[in-house]
Amino acid sequence: MTETKTTRLLAFVIAAALLAAGCAPRDHRGQFFGQIEPPQGQVLRYISGSEPETLDPQMSTGQPEARVAIALYEGLVEYHPKTMEAIPGVAERWTMNGDASELVFFLRRNAKFSNGDPITARDFVYGFRRGLRPALASRVAYLAYDIKYAEAFNNGSAFVRDPQTGRFLLASEAPQTSPDGSQTVAAAAAPPDEDALFKAELGKKGEDAAADTPFHKYIHAPERLVVPADAKDREKALKDAPKLAALVAGKEFVPVKEEDIGVEAVDDYTLRLTLRQPAPYFLGLLPHQFFRAIHEKTVERFGVNWTKPGNIVSSGTHMLLEHKPYNQVVVVKNPQYWDAAAVRLEKIVFYPLEDNTTMMNLYKAGDVDATYNHTVPASWLKSGVRNVKDYMDAPENVSEFYAINTTKPPMNDVRVRKAFNMAVDKAALADYRVVVKPNYTLVPTIFLKYPRPKGDPFDPERAKQLLAEAGFKGADGKFDPKKFPSSEVELNYNTNESNRQIAEFIQAQWKQNLGVTVALRNTEWKTFLPMRSRLEYKGFARSGWVGDYMDPYTYLSLYIVKEGGANGTGWWDPKYNKMLEDANRETDELKRFEMLAKAEEYLLEYQPVLTLVIPATSWMKKPYVKGMYPNPGTLHAWKFVYIEYDRAKWDQGTPDMTTDTLAD
Amino acid sequence: MFRFIVRRLLVTVPMVLVVISLTWVLIRLAPGNFYEGERKLPAAIEKNIRAKYGLDQPVYVQYGRVMGNILRLDFGNSLRYENETVNEILRRTVPVSAAIGVSAYLLALLVGITMGTVAALKQNSKLDYVAMGLSMLGISVPNFVLGPILVLVFSLSLYWLPPARWGGFPSWNLLLPVLTLSAVYMAYIARLTRAGMLEVLRSDYIRTARAKGLTERQVVTRHALRGGLLPVVSFTGPALAILITGTVVVERIFAMPGLGNYFINANLNRDEPLILGIVAFASILVLVFNLLVDIAYGVIDPRIRY
Repeated sequence: MTETKTTRLLAFVIAAALLAAGCAPRDHRGQFFGQIEPPQGQVLRYISGSEPETLDPQMSTGQPEARVAIALYEGLVEYHPKTMEAIPGVAERWTMNGDASELVFFLRRNAKFSNGDPITARDFVYGFRRGLRPALASRVAYLAYDIKYAEAFNNGSAFVRDPQTGRFLLASEAPQTSPDGSQTVAAAAAPPDEDALFKAELGKKGEDAAADTPFHKYIHAPERLVVPADAKDREKALKDAPKLAALVAGKEFVPVKEEDIGVEAVDDYTLRLTLRQPAPYFLGLLPHQFFRAIHEKTVERFGVNWTKPGNIVSSGTHMLLEHKPYNQVVVVKNPQYWDAAAVRLEKIVFYPLEDNTTMMNLYKAGDVDATYNHTVPASWLKSGVRNVKDYMDAPENVSEFYAINTTKPPMNDVRVRKAFNMAVDKAALADYRVVVKPNYTLVPTIFLKYPRPKGDPFDPERAKQLLAEAGFKGADGKFDPKKFPSSEVELNYNTNESNRQIAEFIQAQWKQNLGVTVALRNTEWKTFLPMRSRLEYKGFARSGWVGDYMDPYTYLSLYIVKEGGANGTGWWDPKYNKMLEDANRETDELKRFEMLAKAEEYLLEYQPVLTLVIPATSWMKKPYVKGMYPNPGTLHAWKFVYIEYDRAKWDQGTPDMTTDTLAD
Repeated sequence: MFRFIVRRLLVTVPMVLVVISLTWVLIRLAPGNFYEGERKLPAAIEKNIRAKYGLDQPVYVQYGRVMGNILRLDFGNSLRYENETVNEILRRTVPVSAAIGVSAYLLALLVGITMGTVAALKQNSKLDYVAMGLSMLGISVPNFVLGPILVLVFSLSLYWLPPARWGGFPSWNLLLPVLTLSAVYMAYIARLTRAGMLEVLRSDYIRTARAKGLTERQVVTRHALRGGLLPVVSFTGPALAILITGTVVVERIFAMPGLGNYFINANLNRDEPLILGIVAFASILVLVFNLLVDIAYGVIDPRIRY
């Protein structure tokens, strides 16, 4: 090859590369994005997020793990593919008592593990107890804390027993700590008659459909008092509570055992959960992987290695064939699954990936069939990927906001917090971010029956007025930016491209609308977290929450703090806690939502957070993948997903989310 | 020679221990921990986790455990991927990184040395300018630019090659990552070879070889290359060590399950046993390769004797 030819070839390659680079994101090849050839057979190749930490459903915290867990394990209930509400799983039906503090599940009799063993109520009892074992040290054990004595068992508490009478002391006998710190002794004089109380409770709540048992009597009795079981910890806890110390002096301490938790196998196919307080949202939590069925013998035999291929026994629609970390997790249909006839995917290949561009490249080249949420890079969205028919978009069960450190001036003044909130044009922010929606409240818009409070609107004039009222004013009585200590306010975020863009946008808004320049500060994630939770920041810190279940309470409960502040804002209020507690006691759904909304309004009145936007799910799925919907959590029950080979039945855009039918 | 090797190997042990100790101190100084997430964990759960992983024991006990693990070459289980031991992770990922890295390096050697030699022999010709121009391009275009361009052309426009993912060794999936990774080394080696050759070609022993009447080909392959490649040899040691421990950017762009991804994520996740295991592995590798380079020097260059 001559030199001129080499040069020409080189020039050609570079030109071709640049041409391709220039038009690639806009290259639609018609209505869909890239190649659309369905795979051979009922196989789904799915990008599931970063490498799962573990396939043990009780040890994982995130959605990447949940996506695999849904295939491998089935719970009492499963996620509805469109709404993500609880639908029957191993349990074919259930009842809830009048005040939502007790749930009884009736299990189907043909549910089996992948090795053929039947799935019974005892398996769930085992699973719930194991997940709460302190030695297991699961990070998500808190999800089960609503179950009676679950928290006491998980945190190593002990019941207090009177050695003379053998009677356990009750929680109601303990001196109550009121918000001002003083202690009062409530009803300590005459110990209540447990049996009478129990009967009264039963009368109130009506008959259960399941049999009454001695365990049921015990668990339904008034709540027992618990103190730390460890002598050193107990000493520390009692030091600040002299009255409690006096009450428990000379008593026996009986450690709370896993058998004491409010989970009972009434018989092989009836499971009863007793909660410590009414929790109408609790059923919505149960599809979470933490509560899915695991096989006791396998777990106990292999310990930490029980989920490895060859060891694992699964309970879900699929079973594990191969797990190659950072490469792929392959599951195949479980022939023992009770509803195997309805499961259409013979195989699912999960690709753990972290780079968005790589994901979109694989998708475009037709090497994967669907991706998880937030996989489309912002620049691709702006250049038209939004308009292809395989782009999936729906409001998400997520809220993005900034936490405000309410303990440091000037942000300890609610007027200043409100002013900064009102000086942000959230609609403009949403426009800038393309696929998000502005949010003026903490709870996102996805809960249609929830009467959301309005939240403060964008109003720069009122914001300046508030700041002037807070004392930052010039001689003319108007707000003077020079008087504002802007060096005491920073906008903190964890290092990430889109976090930076949002922070810069908000910074510009404050500059423009208030004339105040707030410094930006980015910190690496693991450094950022303790800084925020220990309130070692000034001003604002990026925050966000992915709902654990489909109920506004998953957001509102973030700000229930009992012992003075670990929610990153330093704000807490017993009145707020009480409002939420009362709301959960309400049995009428709409009334409860109203009460929750009142509580949110109360919270927003104190503005410990500056709410920003509700993200959109934003992901892609080839038109031949059916039964997979843009639901608010981007978690898919694989049972309903299949590959459609008939082109006439392919999805032309976002599939219909309104109908109530599960398959179409 | 033998004594030299034994002495160098003995020095390796305390050096690795020092590196590990420093790394351990740095990890402990870094804020954050492996278990904290968006929601602050209840105190009880934090306590359970700290007890499970021995973080509630005195610092010297924890340090002693780390040192004991290193000496037994068993780093225990990863904190993030709790059912995998660090050794399992190394055993699985090192071959992947090595497959990509060594292939890329061999390609780089082949092309780089050829280009460098040709350029040196035809100094200041058009061929020289093109070769050196290309190598300048190779050095200046970072692999996070080159990789995506290759993907755009060959995977997304022509649909010839898969855009990413591991497909075993050998497979077509490897072609783009290997090309991407080798470019910068190719360029570097070409420059090193050219410089080395130019120097050697002017030396007296080459003139002697020519005077003896050897053909130009014999002069170049038998005499000039030996001396001209010494800079490439010393570059090879550390370069191979880096390549085998994984190259983050290429592994990320092409979704390769190699060690590089783990290394970055282990740091971001504060996964102490994994960080220590990888650092120990990498430092042993660097020390061993440097030793090999020194030995190779003795073999290639008659002037060097140990």
